[in-house]
Amino acid sequence: MGVVTTFANFFAAVGAPVLALCAEVGGILTLLFRVLWCLVPPRFDLDETWRNLHKMGVKSVPIIVLTAFFTGGIMVIQAAVFVKKFGATSLVGWGAGYAVFREVGPMLLGLMFSGRVGSNNTAELGTMVVTEQIDGLRALSIDPVRYLLVPRVISMIVMLFLLTILGDVVAILGAALFGTVLADVSLASFWVSFSQNLHVADVVHGLIKAAVFGFIVALTSCHFGITVKGGAVGVGRAVNNAVVAAALGIVLSDYLLTYALP
Amino acid sequence: MIGNFFASIGAFVLGLIEAFFAGLSIAGRTFRGVFHPRGRARGEVLAQMYQIGNRSLLFVTVTLGALGMVLVFQVCLQINKITGDQSQVGPEFIRGMVHAFVPILTAMMLATRVGAGIAAELGSMTVTEQVDALRMTGVDPVDYLIVPRFLASIIMTLVLGIYATVIVVVAGALMAHTAFDVNYAVFFVFEKVTWGDLGVGLTKLAVHGGAIPIVSGYCGLSTTGGSEGVGTATTRAVINSSLTVIILDFVISAIGLMTVQAGV
Amino acid sequence: MIRCDGLCLTLAHRPVLHELGWEIAPGSVWGIIGPPASGKSVLAKTLCGLFTPQQGTLHVDGTEMTRLPEPERVAVRRKMGMLFQNNALFDFLRVWENVAFPLARQDPSLSREALAARAGERLRAVGLAGSEEKWPSELSGGMKKRVGIARATICNAPVLIYDEPTAGLDPVTTSKIYDLLTDLRLRHASTVIAISSDIPALRRFVDHILFLHQGRVRYCGPEAGLEACEDPVVHQFVRGLGEGPL
Repeated sequence: MGVVTTFANFFAAVGAPVLALCAEVGGILTLLFRVLWCLVPPRFDLDETWRNLHKMGVKSVPIIVLTAFFTGGIMVIQAAVFVKKFGATSLVGWGAGYAVFREVGPMLLGLMFSGRVGSNNTAELGTMVVTEQIDGLRALSIDPVRYLLVPRVISMIVMLFLLTILGDVVAILGAALFGTVLADVSLASFWVSFSQNLHVADVVHGLIKAAVFGFIVALTSCHFGITVKGGAVGVGRAVNNAVVAAALGIVLSDYLLTYALP
Repeated sequence: MIGNFFASIGAFVLGLIEAFFAGLSIAGRTFRGVFHPRGRARGEVLAQMYQIGNRSLLFVTVTLGALGMVLVFQVCLQINKITGDQSQVGPEFIRGMVHAFVPILTAMMLATRVGAGIAAELGSMTVTEQVDALRMTGVDPVDYLIVPRFLASIIMTLVLGIYATVIVVVAGALMAHTAFDVNYAVFFVFEKVTWGDLGVGLTKLAVHGGAIPIVSGYCGLSTTGGSEGVGTATTRAVINSSLTVIILDFVISAIGLMTVQAGV
Repeated sequence: MIRCDGLCLTLAHRPVLHELGWEIAPGSVWGIIGPPASGKSVLAKTLCGLFTPQQGTLHVDGTEMTRLPEPERVAVRRKMGMLFQNNALFDFLRVWENVAFPLARQDPSLSREALAARAGERLRAVGLAGSEEKWPSELSGGMKKRVGIARATICNAPVLIYDEPTAGLDPVTTSKIYDLLTDLRLRHASTVIAISSDIPALRRFVDHILFLHQGRVRYCGPEAGLEACEDPVVHQFVRGLGEGPL
């Protein structure tokens, strides 16, 4: 009897989180379909979209710039070890550019974007749920998905795309700067190696990833925001879950996209 | 418009500096609290270690496993185009993981998961006046709430970092073998990892582990304003912990480059 | 005895209390009333030293509080018990652990059993016998208030501060809570300060009133003199009139 109860407890312990996970994934997929439904044909509130574009883009610029600048520096420091060993100054520009455009740029900027814009979005939507504003919208026969969520999704995709372009530029500048200071790589040789070895395809690879990451951050933050239960504590928990889910989504989709794209 | 651009960055940086000094004050009180425990609940550090460590295990495994595979894939792809000699990939990859990538990636993942959690918890307590109630009974909130999380986070970040290194190297080896036919024996070469690398990697993990609870604890304790305030505090905690981790990582990397790794 | 003179307090760059002077005699029962956002809760927390005024002095039993560093304020706070506006029960502790918490801090030598016994006795006194092992999230609003009162009174502090003891409760429960507070006061002859928006019920409980409006004192004196006060703000508020300065 003891063995059976132990097995039963084991399955219950494993099963409960799995079911919870399925519920969340299901919720996100449902939201995905509802959002896509509203996009075909495109009918959504332009004022809301414009307002969100401004809020998410302009307010994120400082943090993106700062992150990108130091990321460029970190990349160069890693490369500098090789440079000192092999004297390979001509590879630094290429190496930094390749890593930033294809991988590190979209991923780190995506994570920072999720932390800044995604969690802010979840908190905002969560507070609206707690203060019954969503119910208020429904009472006025306004579909919250069409009115609130679709503009945010569009804004986040567009903004992460644009911010990644900005971030890429700043990261390269940071890398070039720290290259001269810490690794004795002249700006000229940095530029030569950079421009000769990198193609538009590398940049596009990263930007497609950025758009997808923006979509993932948007879906997760909206889902966890709109399903908040429980007052102030619930909002905090929702932000926590949203940020974790977005990070997981970004990493996993990065994995898939790295194969799929040239 | 350019003026506005720089002004907004400037204002942001000034805000960060102000928060930095407030954070230093909390850091100071935290360090003092470590050495002079005053009436803290027994077993609180262990409870926090469970919260931080065990519950992040799956998250860290999945994210770092995937990232390991992605990085090896990208590197091998490029090597194929240039030299075709994959034998160097394994040793250099392992070295890079130990002193560079695993510390910062683990810390970034923990900054989102743990940082948000701590800020949400402490923020809710502040907003519902539980922190005031603690102060009424003579308990120092930094001592009671932040210090256990600080100790637990340092220990668990170190443990998770070591675990993550194993995951990343194994995942990378799998990728190299299946996609590029690199022999496992050729990949798993550990000679190139120096004591300096190990030192830098472990220092980074410990420092990041300590910084995250201090920064996010500060954001949680300075929450104002109801459920909206808790959301704002959690957001700030994630951003500020992530940014602190990036900057600290940069500083330690630079110091490492100039000292223990110089003669490599 | 508590006395404050010329208290000025600013929070988040907004002035909250202006030139506030007040004297509380031992054993007296005060009610603080006023429109929302007048600074009532802030004043109560300032009296405990949870907020530090930028100007003015605060004397509690002869000790000047405003320049005192935090560790020394704890000794003064031991003389006070506070019920917070949102109860502020620790959601990571059970009900009896919540109630016993201040006692455990004050007297670390007490064993766990002794603390549980004292907490159980307090919970019986507030009518919650049998709820010792519950978690705060399992309680109703009225029950949480009672646990808060039990926690505030467990150390027999000479000064008791109740911030909105009956907010959001139905008239019957309100009545019972005030009966409980009166009973506690009579047993220990403590000084009581109560903040409330339920003016009629509060006025039956207290003997003095302090009326706050936008951080300034508009009336400070016996409860019976409130009607006669000529200040237009007080006049409108006490009668619940729609027209006037508010």
